[in-house]
Amino acid sequence: MADSNKKLVLDPLIDNNPITLQVLGVCSALAVTSSLKVALVMAIAVTLVTAFSSFFISLIRNSIPSSIRIIVQMVIIASLVILVDQMLKAYAFEVSKTLSVFVGLIITNCIVMGRAEAFAMQNPPVASFVDGIGNGLGYGLVLLLVGIVRELFGSGKLFGFEILPTVSNGGWYVPNGLLLLPPSAFFVIGMLIWAFRTWKPKQVEPADFKIVVQSEGH
Amino acid sequence: MGLRKYLDNITPHFEKGGKYEKYYTMFEMVETLLYTRKQVTQAAPHARDYIDLKRVMTYVVLATIPCIIMALYNTGLQTNQAIQLVGAENASGWRVWMLTLLHIPFNPNNIFANLIHGAFYFFPIYIVTLAAGGIFEVIFATVRKHDVNEGFLVTSMLYSLIMPASTPLWQVALGIIFGVVIGKEVFGGTGKNFLNPALVGRAFLYFAYPANMSGDSVWVAVNGYSGATALSISAQDGHQALAAANVSWMDAFVGTIQGSLGETSVIACMLGLCFLLYTRIANWRLIVGCLGGMIIFSSLFNLIGSTSNPMFAMPWYWHLVLGGYAFGLVFMVTEPVTAAMTNPGRYIYGALIGFMVVMIRVVNPAFPEGMMLAILFSNIFAPLIDYFVVQANIKRRARKHV
Amino acid sequence: MSDQDTKLGAWAKFKALPIDSTPKTLLVAFSLCLFCSMIVSGAAVYLKPVQEANKALDKKKNVLQVAGLYSPDVDIDEVFKQIEIKIVDLKTGRYTDVVNAQTYDQKAASKDPSMSIVLTNDPASIKRQAKYASVYIVPTSDGSIDKIILPIHGYGLWSTLYGFIAIKSDGNEIAGLQFYEQGETPGLGAEVDNPIWRAKWPGQKVYGDDGKVKISVSKNPKPAGEAGRFHVDALAGATLTSRGVDNLVKFWMGEQGFKLFLDNLKNGSL
Repeated sequence: MADSNKKLVLDPLIDNNPITLQVLGVCSALAVTSSLKVALVMAIAVTLVTAFSSFFISLIRNSIPSSIRIIVQMVIIASLVILVDQMLKAYAFEVSKTLSVFVGLIITNCIVMGRAEAFAMQNPPVASFVDGIGNGLGYGLVLLLVGIVRELFGSGKLFGFEILPTVSNGGWYVPNGLLLLPPSAFFVIGMLIWAFRTWKPKQVEPADFKIVVQSEGH
Repeated sequence: MGLRKYLDNITPHFEKGGKYEKYYTMFEMVETLLYTRKQVTQAAPHARDYIDLKRVMTYVVLATIPCIIMALYNTGLQTNQAIQLVGAENASGWRVWMLTLLHIPFNPNNIFANLIHGAFYFFPIYIVTLAAGGIFEVIFATVRKHDVNEGFLVTSMLYSLIMPASTPLWQVALGIIFGVVIGKEVFGGTGKNFLNPALVGRAFLYFAYPANMSGDSVWVAVNGYSGATALSISAQDGHQALAAANVSWMDAFVGTIQGSLGETSVIACMLGLCFLLYTRIANWRLIVGCLGGMIIFSSLFNLIGSTSNPMFAMPWYWHLVLGGYAFGLVFMVTEPVTAAMTNPGRYIYGALIGFMVVMIRVVNPAFPEGMMLAILFSNIFAPLIDYFVVQANIKRRARKHV
Repeated sequence: MSDQDTKLGAWAKFKALPIDSTPKTLLVAFSLCLFCSMIVSGAAVYLKPVQEANKALDKKKNVLQVAGLYSPDVDIDEVFKQIEIKIVDLKTGRYTDVVNAQTYDQKAASKDPSMSIVLTNDPASIKRQAKYASVYIVPTSDGSIDKIILPIHGYGLWSTLYGFIAIKSDGNEIAGLQFYEQGETPGLGAEVDNPIWRAKWPGQKVYGDDGKVKISVSKNPKPAGEAGRFHVDALAGATLTSRGVDNLVKFWMGEQGFKLFLDNLKNGSL
C-alpha cells in the first residue's frame, strides 16, 4: 500500500506529468506564471482542490448515479474552488488580486476533472486523495519551473527579490518583455516538454507518418 | 581544379568511419557552396534541372543587393543628418571614433561618407547574425545529422535587413537564435518550417524588448536625437502631417526615411522583385494577391473614414511606401516554404497578408507597423488555405465524374 | 401497524432501487447541493469581515503610498488615522455629507445611474462620472493641510487606470501620482508603475498663472526653466498609455474634475 501510494505521488511528477505529457491545464499555466509567488499559490490551490475533490468523489462514488455523474463532480469541485477563493481573499489578499479569475477557473482545469473521472470514480478515497496530491504536485512542478524562467528573465526577480539588477533600477539586465506576456509560457512549456522527452525518450509519441528518405547519398 | 581535387582527397575523412565523421555537415556545407552537389536523385521519376535549393537561396541573396546598398547609404545618411543636427562634438561611440580616425566627414551630402558610416552599422549586425545563428544551425545539423542549409544565408540576410540600426548586438544574436531554433529547427529544418525564421526572430525582439523595437520612435543611434517614424506620425496626425516632418512620398519611395536598415527603399525592393520574378523564384500570384488585398482594404477604409483615427484616411500608395510593406512583399511574402503552395491559394494567402497589414496599421492602436505580424499570421493559415483549395478541387472533379 | 409496515416497505423499496433510478438520482442531487451550498455560504459569511477589512486596508495602503507615508513595516491603520477622509461634491467643489465618507465607494458610485452623470465631454473615456468624490487630507503636525489626495481614473491603451494624485496645499504643486490598478502592456505602458517614471511627477505644477490646466505628459523634450514644471516625459514606446495618462490628469484637474475644489482650497473658502 505504502509503495503504491508512493508511486501515485511520484508518477505524475515526471513520468506522467499532467502538463508535459497529458497536456492538460495549460490555460492557467499560461496565465499565472509571470511571477513565482502567484504560481506557487496557484499550485497549492490546485493541489488541494484536486486532492480533496478526488477524496470526496471517491467517498461517494458508489452512490453517484451515472446520469448526473459529471454534474456531481462539478458541484463538489466548484464548492471546493469557491472555498479556496474565499480563503485567499481573506488571508492572502495581494495574491488573490493577481490571481483574480484564475482561481475561479480551477473549476474548468482539466486536471481536476480528469483525475475525478479517471481515477477517483474507480478507486478508494485514500488512494484518490494521494493521486490528487501527486497530480497537483506534477502541475505545480511545471508551474514553478515556468514561473522561475519567466520571473527571472522577465523582470530579473525571484519571489519579488531582485536577482538580476535591471537597467531601470540602475543595473545591467534588460528585462525580456516577451516573458511577461502569457503566450511566452507556450515557449517555456514547449521547451520543458522537449527537455523531458530528451531525458525520457519513452514519452515521445510514435510519429503519425514516416517521411521516406530518398536514396540520396548518405 | 586544384580545389576540387583537394576536396575529393579529404572527403573520406568526413564520411562514415572517417576521422572527422562528426564534422561532415560542416564539410558538406563548404563543399556544396563551392561546387554542385555530386549526389543526384537516382530513383525515377525525376527531372534534372540546374536550379536546386542552393541556387534558389543564392538568387534570393543576390536579389537583396539593392536593398543592402540602400541600407548602407540610408543608415549613414540618417545618422549623419542627425549628427549634423545635434552637432558633431556631441556624437560619440566607436563608429564616430573610427570615422574621425579615417578622416571621413559626417556630411549627409557625401555619398561615400554615408555608405561607410552605414556599413559600420550594417556589418556588425550582419556578422553577429551569421555567427550566432550559424553556430546554432551547425549544432542542430550535427545532432540531427542533416546538412547545413543555404536557407540560413537568406534568413540571416533578411533578418539583418529588418533590424533597426540601433539594435544592441546581443539582442541581434538572441533574436536570430530564437528564429533559427524556434522558427525552423524544432520543426525539422529548412522546408519543414511553417513560419519565416527571420520574422520569428524579429517578432521575438519586438515583443521582448518593445521599448527600442516597436517602431514608435526612430532608430537612429545618436544621443539627444529623438522623433517618430513615418508610420507613427501618420498614426497620430495622419499622413498629411508627414510633409511637415519633411517626408515626401518620393522620399519614402526612394528610401531616404527613418526605418529598419534595409526596408525603407521601395525602389531597391522593386529591383529585387524584378530579379526574383525574372528567375521565377518569386511567384507573381502572391504579389498580385498581397497588393490587391492591401489596395482594396485601404481604399475601403478611405471610403469609410473616421473622425478620430487619421490612419483611416491613408491612401494605398502611402501604405505601399511606408514601413516594411514593400520589403515584406518582395522577400517575405514570396518565400516559397511558408507561403501557400496552390495557385488559387497563393492569391488568397497574399490577399490575407494585404488585409491584415492594413487592419493592424489602421485599426490596432498599439502597433504602428503591421507587415511582420501580418505575414506571420498568414504563414499559419497557409496550410489551411491549401487544404481547402485541394478539397474544393477534389469535390469539383468528383462532381464531373459521377 | 400495517401502516408502519407499508412505510417501512416504502423505505426498503427505495433502498432497493438501483442507483440510477429517478428517485435516488434526485435524492443524491438534492442532498449534495444542500450540503455544498451550506459549506460555501457558511465560508462566505464567516470570512466576509476579514475580506472587507482586507479591501479597506488595500485602499488605505494605496492612499498612504501616494502620500509618501508608506513603507512595508508601518502599521497601515495607525498611520492612516491621521488622514481625514472627506466627500467633495464635484459640481460645487465643496465638502458635502450627503454620503458617509467612511463607507462611500466612488468606483461603485460611478456605475450607479443615481449617483453619477453621463459625460458628454469625455477625454478620459470613462463614460460615467460619480457626482461625489472621496478626497484624503494629509495634515501637517500643526493640523493645517499638508497635501490632498484625489482619486483619478481613465482609459489608457488596454485598460482603465485607477490611481491617486497628491496635490500640495497651494492647490497647484503635485506631490505624487500613482496608479494602483492597470492592465497596460508589460514593459511599455505598465511602466506607469515604474518608480523612476513616478518620480518625474512630484514638484511639477498643474495650473499655469491664468488658472488653466497646463500640466502635460508629452514626448517633446522638456522645456528649460519654469515651463519645465508643467511637463512630464511620456513613457518610452507607450504613446497611447502616455496619452491616456495625459488625458485623465487633464480631465480630473479640469473644470469637470477637481478644479473648483482646488480653487476653493486655494481661496480658503471651503
